[in-house]
Amino acid sequence: MTHHQVELTVNGSKVSMQVEPRQSLADALRSQLGLTGTHLGCEHGVCGACTIIVDGEPVRGCLMLGVQAEGAEVLTVEGVSPSEGLSPIQEALREHHGLQCGFCTPGMVMALHHLFTITPSPSEDEINEAISGQLCRCTGYQGIVSAAKAVAQKQRENRSHDTTVNGKENSCRSA
Amino acid sequence: MTIGARIPRVEDERFLRGEGRYVADIAMPFMVEAYVLRSPYPHAHIRSIDASEALALDGVEAVITASDLPDDLPPIPCRIPTHGDLGPYLQYPLARDRVRYVGEPIALIIAKSRAVCEDAAELVEIDFDPLPPVVDPEAAIKPDAALVHEAGNLAGRWGFDLGAVDDALKNATYVVSEKFSIQRHTAMPLETRGLIASYDVGRNLLDIHGPTKVVHTNRNVLAAMLGMGEAEIRMVEPDVGGSFGARGEFYPEDYLIPFAAIRLRKPVRWIEDRIEHFAAINHSRESAFEVTACADAEGMITAFDVRLVTDMGAFIRTHGDVVPSHAAASFPGPYRVRNYRIDAMTVMTNKTPTGTYRAPGMFEANFARERALDRLAAKIGIDPAELRRRNLIPADMMPWHVGTESVKRPTIFDSGNFPHVFERALEAYGWDAPIEREADGWLRGRGICALVEPSGLGPFEGVRIEVDQHGYATIFSGSSNQGQGHETVLAQIASSILGLPVEKIRVRHGDTGIITFGGGTYASRTAVLGGNAVHSAAVGIRDKALKTASAKFDIPLEELSLREGEIWHGGKNEPVISLGGIARMLMPGNPEFLKPPSDMNMPDNDGLVVTSYIRGVPGGTSAFAVHMADVLVDPRTGDTRVENYFVACDIGRQLNPLIVEGQLIGGVAQGIGGTFLEELTYSEDGQLTTGTFADYMMPNVYNMPPVGTLVLEETKAPGNVLGVKGVGEIGPSGVPAAIGNAIADALKATSGLNILPLTPERVLAAASTVERP
Ligand code: FES
Ligand code: FES
Repeated sequence: MTHHQVELTVNGSKVSMQVEPRQSLADALRSQLGLTGTHLGCEHGVCGACTIIVDGEPVRGCLMLGVQAEGAEVLTVEGVSPSEGLSPIQEALREHHGLQCGFCTPGMVMALHHLFTITPSPSEDEINEAISGQLCRCTGYQGIVSAAKAVAQKQRENRSHDTTVNGKENSCRSA
Repeated sequence: MTIGARIPRVEDERFLRGEGRYVADIAMPFMVEAYVLRSPYPHAHIRSIDASEALALDGVEAVITASDLPDDLPPIPCRIPTHGDLGPYLQYPLARDRVRYVGEPIALIIAKSRAVCEDAAELVEIDFDPLPPVVDPEAAIKPDAALVHEAGNLAGRWGFDLGAVDDALKNATYVVSEKFSIQRHTAMPLETRGLIASYDVGRNLLDIHGPTKVVHTNRNVLAAMLGMGEAEIRMVEPDVGGSFGARGEFYPEDYLIPFAAIRLRKPVRWIEDRIEHFAAINHSRESAFEVTACADAEGMITAFDVRLVTDMGAFIRTHGDVVPSHAAASFPGPYRVRNYRIDAMTVMTNKTPTGTYRAPGMFEANFARERALDRLAAKIGIDPAELRRRNLIPADMMPWHVGTESVKRPTIFDSGNFPHVFERALEAYGWDAPIEREADGWLRGRGICALVEPSGLGPFEGVRIEVDQHGYATIFSGSSNQGQGHETVLAQIASSILGLPVEKIRVRHGDTGIITFGGGTYASRTAVLGGNAVHSAAVGIRDKALKTASAKFDIPLEELSLREGEIWHGGKNEPVISLGGIARMLMPGNPEFLKPPSDMNMPDNDGLVVTSYIRGVPGGTSAFAVHMADVLVDPRTGDTRVENYFVACDIGRQLNPLIVEGQLIGGVAQGIGGTFLEELTYSEDGQLTTGTFADYMMPNVYNMPPVGTLVLEETKAPGNVLGVKGVGEIGPSGVPAAIGNAIADALKATSGLNILPLTPERVLAAASTVERP
């Protein structure tokens, strides 16, 4: 099987991978770059464990081919984790017991990361919508939703604070 | 941080950062990948297998079939006592001359990549001679049925006959007879299985990453099958993406992958894909009950008479018949019923073999019993809660011996004040609060289920605690962890005795290389048995440390105490030495603690190390729980919406309320899946027709109602020092009954809703039995 050289940006760094035409992007990230935080729960596009952000949009890493990622900007769970400790979303998931076995967790973190990127303080409906394609077998989702609500609440507080104090919008990217 | 503290888990950070290390994240130099070629037929003779073309493919290393395995290879044994001899139904790692279910392993293909394996699989020529498949268990026990095994399709028939059931039936004022069926579904952890085995030929050492749940048992089984010493095999559990009973049992692959690693002398990795998982992992729950329940004029239940047929699938696996066995042993539930009869049949069919799934047998039995009781209450004309109230086992009758047994252990409810917990549950939920019966054409109903959940079963558990000279404690546990939070709760228990923060206590588990014996994780047993082993070992560490300090500093033992990782002298109120300091003193060869010189070598200290094994009490310990739900039903479409769900339970003592709540809510989610969505269906010709996540529906966020919990610590388990009862299986166990009862209540239906899952069609059918204005 011939291999293709693919150049892309992953978590802010330019990288190149050798992929077979049939290899999924998630598989390539895992096996070529050692980014094993992206999990494979079904490899048929249903569970969401493989969710990553490609060019600003959440995608199922198992449904996209590695060769399609030429020139793309890819963000994985490794890329949204601070160099030490946890991001506010990750911290909230921990506080609210939004994970048990942790296998769905990177996908959840990515789905929520995207949500908070586009909607600084999402409603419960928007939270549900954002994770409706992410299966979790362990938690029953309640802790995940509470975690996201807590982050949203905090963002709202920060924002009203910022508006009165600084008169400008707080960036949500830090979430 | 002590027992009972609501603290976030210590293991979470690595999972949240994507730094969990699951089996598919592990690789080794020169590793090759394996693929299991599985039967496409439910039942067929294998005439021949020709792998020559596959072997010729570039990158293929081996194609292993049954003829390559040792002639005297035994089948995979049961690890639990069974009713009768199920030996004729055990499974060999590879099909020999006949396949019995779609998905049965026929060959193991090994190549440089999984993709090449899959290409090679296309090239293996197998000549099958199809046989008629046996799919329906009731048909399987008819005299003219085709045989799945020569020993007969009825693998076992056994039961109990307690009290005087016939008399009770004769004298009863109210009698109901109902049939129930519970669909085949299963655990479906989000991570599929996987193994990586490597063999050091020179030293005859086999290392396997990927096993979980019962690694010591699995290691011993493998040692016997390979003819190796037990200590020559090390099984190591990585991070594991859920088990819920199914994952971690000894499956055909658990023999095949190590076997291949030995034969090829290369590390061999096998990562199951989701499609194979559907056909290969133990299925569960498929069973049919016929229940007759009767009561006297006062509404006292006088007897249960039950027939149970369980579909075991094509082979008996490691769990034997434990699922129907638990169902039969505990069927009477939390009620004071002395007349009980059950006729249980275990039946072989050409479907995937079965095993346990969280609340094995209990989910099924609770559904049948509690739905039948609602029918009985309706017949008597009393509130469903009132019927249960009248019949609960009173506190002064504890311990309650049901009179049955399962896996050769008597079924005993060790303790509990069921009536008190029941009233608290009703009150907390507002069972008697008025309910608005209609909203926009939808009907509202309320349902209840009471149950007893046995836990802490199995013979023993063990841990060793080691404290190092820097004051770090490590718990080496014989149990295993697939997401339950053991790294936190076991540390909390040790922390409460040693006074160390949980961050200074490491928990290691699921590794046969770190502790000699281990029981493993099943039947909600880690908090009960593992937790008590930690408690006992931590107490041992404390006592040893105090004794050592007393001798070294010549302070009376009574004046010393252990606080926050340091030993304090009570009289002076100051720390004398740290736990780490004691650990250093107790290191063998340490001059600080040497006895006077001697001409003889002599025994020395063995470190600040204590090993403790705890033997379980025969009946385990039982938690009482009540599930309640409010459900909206659309009688025009059969649509349902669970508005509110509530679980109350008495678990003796909570180790960490955050984790307890998580277990309950997560368990309810699985129960909801089993109630409405999940089903492994087979076509008449024996093909699994729900073999992907696109057709096997698991609950997503929209399927979940708000779940409330009330966790009580009313009655400590008398059989263990911590007083804890297991909580892991309470969540799913009562869901289909509570919801089925709520739907029936909404519709005022007096028939139907006895077949799971409760699909819109079935709800609609029940709705259509009732005349509406
Ligand atoms: S692995 Fe991609 S959606 Fe399941
Ligand atoms: S935490 Fe296990 S699947 Fe979500």
